[in-house]
Amino acid sequence: METSFALTGKGYVIIAADTTAARSIVKMKVDEDKIKELSSHLLMSYSGEPGDTIQFAEYVERNIRLYQIRNLYPLRPAAAAAWIRRSLAESLRSRHPYSVNLLLGGYDIADHKPNLYWIDYLGTVVELPFAAHGYGSYFALSLLDRYHNPEASLEEGLATLKRCIEEVAKRLIVSPDRFKVKVVDKDGTREVEL
Amino acid sequence: MNSLIQRYAGSSAASQQRRNVSTVDDDDEFSDAMWGSEAGFGSLAKGVPSFMVPSVPDPAAFLRLHTDDHADPSCKIKIQHGTTTLAFRFQGGVIVAVDSRATAGSYVASGTVKKVIEINPYLLGTMAGGAADCQYWETYLGMHCRLHELRNRERISVSAASKYLSNLVYSYKGMGLSMGTMICGWDKTGPALFYVDSDGTRLKGDLFSVGSGSTFAYGVLDQGYRWDLTDEEAQELGRRSIYAAGHRDAFSGNTCNLYHVKEHGWDFIGNYDITTLHYDGPGNVSGSPGHGYGYEIRVEGQTSANPPEVVAQA
Amino acid sequence: MARRYDSRTTIFSPEVEYAMEAISHAGTVLGVLAKDGVVLAAEKRVTGKLLDLSSAKDGGGYGGSGEKMFLLNSNVIGGVAGITSDANSLVNYARTVAQRHLLQFNEDIPVELLAQRLCDMKQGYTQYGGLRPFGVSLLYAGYDPHYRFQLYHSDPSGNYSGWKATCIGANNGTAQSLLKQEYKDDIGVEEAIGLVLRVMSKTMDSTTLGSEKLEFAVLTYDEVAKEPKAKIYKPADIDALLKAQGLAKDEDTEMKS
Repeated sequence: METSFALTGKGYVIIAADTTAARSIVKMKVDEDKIKELSSHLLMSYSGEPGDTIQFAEYVERNIRLYQIRNLYPLRPAAAAAWIRRSLAESLRSRHPYSVNLLLGGYDIADHKPNLYWIDYLGTVVELPFAAHGYGSYFALSLLDRYHNPEASLEEGLATLKRCIEEVAKRLIVSPDRFKVKVVDKDGTREVEL
Repeated sequence: MNSLIQRYAGSSAASQQRRNVSTVDDDDEFSDAMWGSEAGFGSLAKGVPSFMVPSVPDPAAFLRLHTDDHADPSCKIKIQHGTTTLAFRFQGGVIVAVDSRATAGSYVASGTVKKVIEINPYLLGTMAGGAADCQYWETYLGMHCRLHELRNRERISVSAASKYLSNLVYSYKGMGLSMGTMICGWDKTGPALFYVDSDGTRLKGDLFSVGSGSTFAYGVLDQGYRWDLTDEEAQELGRRSIYAAGHRDAFSGNTCNLYHVKEHGWDFIGNYDITTLHYDGPGNVSGSPGHGYGYEIRVEGQTSANPPEVVAQA
Repeated sequence: MARRYDSRTTIFSPEVEYAMEAISHAGTVLGVLAKDGVVLAAEKRVTGKLLDLSSAKDGGGYGGSGEKMFLLNSNVIGGVAGITSDANSLVNYARTVAQRHLLQFNEDIPVELLAQRLCDMKQGYTQYGGLRPFGVSLLYAGYDPHYRFQLYHSDPSGNYSGWKATCIGANNGTAQSLLKQEYKDDIGVEEAIGLVLRVMSKTMDSTTLGSEKLEFAVLTYDEVAKEPKAKIYKPADIDALLKAQGLAKDEDTEMKS
């Protein structure tokens, strides 16, 4: 089952997404990257209807890049979240709506704050200190209520993420076995190994 | 009973009138009393025949929402679908913690349900699924446990008691029973815990959680669980896990009831309001963190922002 | 003939040149960028005893008399010089652009982006045959989290540039050399207010300053509300400010004249 987690800490956002691409009961791929780097300080994980996910993520990616080229500075995370929400809300009322759930993590260089947005295919946006999509959320959210620390160092944040992944591995029937993890902070985005 | 007699007594005024409209008002499912003050003849009085239905946009959907037609399409009303119960074995016995919310569809039917059934002074059963099913059959189990005691001059083992219940519900399989229960106690083998459900599943284990909020409870429970927990730590873990489910699951909540099974039998530890746990914590009890369990309470005043030193000074 | 189209570094069509020329006779608009705010002042030309100013007395909804100072968005004040009707149309366009940005991105439009969008339109009108360019120059006093306080100028050709202090309209040369002499890099908003008023009093035709000839606006940052605070002065506020700065017209001289 597709699962993604994200959490903020002191000056950073971590996003983790499973790496399986499944069709029916078959795992087609086990090392798929479902987290896009939208700009120097913006990450987005995507999950949902196969096909829609890639199409929509690339559409967002290109538009965010276009804004940056046209206007010299990149969209701030809050503005990007608002734009993506709007795109999904408009899509929802079209003949072929995108069924995509997103986690948008960014570091706002204007006010030095990490921002995390939970976005669903209906066009709901919520800014949160931690978030999750998929069946993993049923196990991880209560865990994060208990263990998340907004001032945690990156090491502590990654340890909390590990707890989530281990809990899902323990309790979810068809749990994903591998997660890709990316971090965004004042220095930009990068992938980290757990 | 009255309405039944009336229905088949040909001379009653009601049946006279009924016969007049029998072509349109063919309701053999319900008694007259069920149709409210107009005794089922509201349609006749208005001239236009119609059924009395709940005043909502989609009555069929409304009814479906308030019944348990997933487990048994033929059943009328069943409550207690969403719930959170947990029990775990540890060095100091068995901790049993449950919430107290009863829901019927989206309606919170009660906030003060006792979901721990005190079968006898050394056996506890938890309630998830059909409230009546659990209550009736676990009480019935209590009766047989006592009979076992009288007949064999010793207390029934938790294993045997749970097996008795398991066999019993299995004999009713497919007939609409809905139970997900944990039988907890202390016997010759020490602390014991069994999961029994109406499918006929019976599992021996150290840690279980049952109900719609179980995933949320597991999230906290698994991460804090160790065999060598102290009594205080274990009770705190039970409380916190039920709080977590009560907070995240819409079908669980209101209060938490906490029990601790020890060698001498079970102790009732306390009843805790989930909202109070959120804002203030469990109060002056052993194992209390001294503040509310709520995330917002716990991290109040903290920030993820990391402005550079120069900006901070400006 | 080629020289006709060559004005300094930019090549303009004659229509644009005429527009620029017209603006150099319009009421002066002056802007100064301070480290904690931006100050704008403008000289009103449409005055007279018979002009009905009752709607401007309280400054309408957000202040000003509605001739030269406009609130383009909650974070940008615009000062206009040139053809008033063209300016009204541009102000309307700017407000629409800003609102559309708010709707799409849920944030105040960055100041430079707003100037850019207006200039895209202005430029379009210089290019297509049969269209007359906008006879308007604007000063934009704005705030955004990217570059904090900013001051931009745009002209009828669609050129725009950022300034520490600048002036458009009549006597802009005089004003600019005064600003060049007196501007300091770490100027505060209170100092900037004084500087703006001093320069205005020297460049305006009339001998005395008063609310009937002056419009005034200041953009600062409200640290409590965590948002920019745009204040376009009402006539009474302007008179009070001039009095406080010692630039108010003398009661006696008014009697004599």
